[in-house]
Amino acid sequence: MVGPSPHKARRKVKRTGNGSETAGEVASSAPGTARATGNRPAYPLAAFLWPARNVSQWEILPLILMTVGLFRWAAGLWGYSGFQNPPMHGDYEAQRHWMELTTQLPISQWYFHDLEYWGLDYPPLTAYHSWLLGKIGGIINPAWFTLFTSRGLEDPSLKVFMRATVIVSEYLIYIPAAVIFVRRLSKLQGVNTWTASVALVAILMQPGTILIDHVHFQYNTVMLGLVLATMSSVLAGRFMWSCVFFVLALGFKQMALYYAPAIFAYLLGVCIFPRVNITRFLGIAFFTAVSFAILFLPILLGALYDAHRGVYARRDLFGPFAPLPISNQYSYLVNHKAWYYPLIQDIAQVIHRVFPFARGLFEDKVANFWCALNVVVKLRKYPSELLQQASLLLTLAAISPPCLVIFLKPRKKILPLALSTTAWAFFLFSFQVHEKSVLLPLMPMTVLMAGKHGLSKSTRAWVGFANLIGVWTMFPLLERVDLRIPYWTLSLLWAYLLGLPPTSFSVYKQDGSWASLATTAIHTSFYLLMGAWHLAEAFLAPPRTKPDLWVVINVGVGAVGFGICYLWCLWSLIVESGVADLSPKSEKSRFKKSQ
Amino acid sequence: MADLYPSIAQCAIVAGAFKVLLFPAYRSTDFEVHRNWLAITNSLPLREWYYEKTSEWTLDYPPFFAYFEWGMSQLAKLVDPAMLRVYNLEYDSWQSIYFQRATVIATELVLVYALHLFVKSAPSALKGPSHAAALSVLLSPGLLIIDHIHFQYNGFMYGLLMLSMILARQKSTIFLSGILFAVLLCFKHIYLYLAPAYFVFLLRAYCLGSKSIFDIKFENALGLGTGVITVFAAAFGPFAFWKQVPQLLSRLFPFSRGLCHAYWAPNVWALYSFTDRILIHVAPRLGLVVNKDAVNSVTRGLVGDTSFAVLPEITARLTFVLTLFFQVVPLIKLFLDPTWDTFIGAVTLCGYASFLFGWHVHEKAILLVIIPFSLIALKDRRYLGVFRPLAVAGHVSLFPLLFTAAEFPIKVIYTIFWLVLFLLAFDRLAPASKRSRIFLLDRFSFLYIAVSIPLILYTSLLHGMIFGKKLEFLPLMFTSSYSAVGVVGSWLSFLVVYFTS
Repeated sequence: MVGPSPHKARRKVKRTGNGSETAGEVASSAPGTARATGNRPAYPLAAFLWPARNVSQWEILPLILMTVGLFRWAAGLWGYSGFQNPPMHGDYEAQRHWMELTTQLPISQWYFHDLEYWGLDYPPLTAYHSWLLGKIGGIINPAWFTLFTSRGLEDPSLKVFMRATVIVSEYLIYIPAAVIFVRRLSKLQGVNTWTASVALVAILMQPGTILIDHVHFQYNTVMLGLVLATMSSVLAGRFMWSCVFFVLALGFKQMALYYAPAIFAYLLGVCIFPRVNITRFLGIAFFTAVSFAILFLPILLGALYDAHRGVYARRDLFGPFAPLPISNQYSYLVNHKAWYYPLIQDIAQVIHRVFPFARGLFEDKVANFWCALNVVVKLRKYPSELLQQASLLLTLAAISPPCLVIFLKPRKKILPLALSTTAWAFFLFSFQVHEKSVLLPLMPMTVLMAGKHGLSKSTRAWVGFANLIGVWTMFPLLERVDLRIPYWTLSLLWAYLLGLPPTSFSVYKQDGSWASLATTAIHTSFYLLMGAWHLAEAFLAPPRTKPDLWVVINVGVGAVGFGICYLWCLWSLIVESGVADLSPKSEKSRFKKSQ
Repeated sequence: MADLYPSIAQCAIVAGAFKVLLFPAYRSTDFEVHRNWLAITNSLPLREWYYEKTSEWTLDYPPFFAYFEWGMSQLAKLVDPAMLRVYNLEYDSWQSIYFQRATVIATELVLVYALHLFVKSAPSALKGPSHAAALSVLLSPGLLIIDHIHFQYNGFMYGLLMLSMILARQKSTIFLSGILFAVLLCFKHIYLYLAPAYFVFLLRAYCLGSKSIFDIKFENALGLGTGVITVFAAAFGPFAFWKQVPQLLSRLFPFSRGLCHAYWAPNVWALYSFTDRILIHVAPRLGLVVNKDAVNSVTRGLVGDTSFAVLPEITARLTFVLTLFFQVVPLIKLFLDPTWDTFIGAVTLCGYASFLFGWHVHEKAILLVIIPFSLIALKDRRYLGVFRPLAVAGHVSLFPLLFTAAEFPIKVIYTIFWLVLFLLAFDRLAPASKRSRIFLLDRFSFLYIAVSIPLILYTSLLHGMIFGKKLEFLPLMFTSSYSAVGVVGSWLSFLVVYFTS
């Protein structure tokens, strides 16, 4: 065949080299010039996407999604929590057990079944999610989820299925939410699409979520994804949708309450400022209520139906009816023969299971204020009621400033900062905190990278600092199940991609302002401490009288680091909101326009 | 053009992180093979290496590889001495797994260095395409699947081959290239398949004058000869001294194996077998004689010795003659035109011929074609047009190597990722050809690549859903026949491109 080539001529690479060195910063500050930016990528992740500067984002996106998926799946080849660790195993077994009990038992039994062995203690959406996954898994192999006999099952093909459910759940919820959120935030703040793609990879490669969800095993990304969807609905101005998503997030994992005060303050704020908007307020209230109602509907209908069939929730009990698990002093007021009694009983049980008020201030060693304080002052000698009140008070004190700011200045773009600050406050001061909960403040903080100057040296330094210290505090948890190698690999990889310590200190080569000097000093000392801690933990045995020494140091250093992260988020929130009138005039007028 | 991003080192680091995450992945028996070799070389005296047979996985690579194993065993001793005991069969403590996996990653640095040199030595106009080609080799799904999951040291071996081919680019380093290739042969004798191209190229470009073939450069010839003999003496010397050469050769060349490997490598014989399978059903109507024994043996599809029911048997001699013939044809052109590009083309064609016509070819040997080809795939659009179906066929044909559910997403998604990324990138980078294209090649190759999607779906999901465990040979046969069509097609069109450029 002789003839002209049907191929398009090779595309010419456009270059408007303006001599600047960084990719992200320049690009984000000049939305008009988009695409072509500096001459050299400032950190490896920018280098990886460098050839894609003039490529449509629809060509890059599938490649990004494949890459992050590969890393997740490969990480999942490692062991999960509780592997070969009877009798209770771990989180993996808990999730599998929930699939077992939801598919095998009538709905009214879900929150009552054998509470000693991983009784269901997550809100209804998790239960429905488990039910769906259990049904699908049951088609593949019914033995995975047979009642009682499947406990502690370690079938390798079950592991593949369970890992796949995490990935599929994430690809259906967290990842679309992240993609849409990054697009909306970058558009809102005039960040070009290439830079947004860099930020997207940075967000999706965040080591903490991969390590906890895909290696250690949990479904945090479902809840985090729903919160991201809440934020991106806010960015789009769809407040009713944001309520629906947030209720779903709460319905999946009660931890989402860490965000609730900020979300509430924001939504209240947009109903009041700049002028009172009653319809919006009523709409928000209505959709929230309806979402909650729909969320609980299957449980309630199930309870009624089962009661009708003669299946009682507490069939293990004979004789007089048990008092309600919560507010039991008022139990006698409720007629347990009434048709609505199963409803009340089930709701009370769900609340009782989901919010374990009865437990102590903290269970395990967690890098929060209380655990750190416990090193200095033995908290056990104080009555637990006093501690609970102190915890409540301190939490309230810590969440008030960010909530007040977002309430007074309800601006879309500061929402991630507000969520992050309140989540840090909860993580540091509330009770019953788990080390994995650090993912909650980290998520909104990490998505800051998609915003304006999100990939600038200073933001990268702080987001990186929070994330690296976050995974570092999870090291004892991961080490217990022999996950050192994925820990090192994933966290160093992320640090490397973003040009962060210990792989590079380039983010600290900034102007000599006092703020950047302080940042450098604080971060460097923490990185040194973390490095020294790793060396000590690996090579030195702790003294015999203090076998927990390394974990205690980890917790102490972590708590201080997180406290600093809280302060940084709060400070940035105040600066960005303009509430304290710190920013220059021009900036202020821009904000007004964007409102 | 100094800004080639991402750099080879950056890709190597990120790919390295991914490979570390693959530590707990599925390992084939090759893992045990190499553990056994570590044990043999570490715990036995040299003269017993090629006689030891406690494990069925006896040492069957040339001596340099054995020395290499000995070197690694010195480190292994520090990690976990238990893996170095010959009787400790199937030993796989996590220390030994991490150690052996880590050596694969570490020795692959040779390949990284070779690729760096390849880009550095490329003429400035070709830096960009060369860089892309180098990254495609570094991130090759073939190497990932074979080395980092299945377990072998191909990254190291192909690194040496690459290095040798790149050293051949400059007149001043041709000598080193020849010596390095001799070293490589003493590591792994599969590269003998490429030796004819090396022989002709070194003869014409190094030992004979560039103007006339009668201008023999004795100094060069003598130097090269001495060098190569020294290398072989270093490798085989001790064994020759103990008169162990026949034993060694019987280990290196086990001719008792069948024509096709356990699973059919996608070559001419796979198509031949496929035709035979079809003829079994057609033959009665045509009045042909069907060999009943063969029908049963082929149906299983997993036996070593394939025999044919209708078509005539293939002898080892025939495969040898065919291989040699198809190797010699392109070498004539290389002899007449000993440029580097032609040399790489000839190496590729030698790889093709041995893969397509060889006896007991393993599907892994497709790298013998893909990797040299990568160096010239971006020469112009015609080369790229030939490379595309080869890349798809070659990598799809490796899928049956991994059959566990946990590795399935990795092999498929990684390969799709690689194909999408590099075929798109190559498409932008390859310059238009000076000559017009031949055939409707692009249309066919597009159609061919498109067919791979339903094929992967069928072999991985649909077949299991429809037939369950029955007819297990069917997906394997489809995969290898499909891939064979692609490899044979790309070979034929590459012959045309090679001879017309």
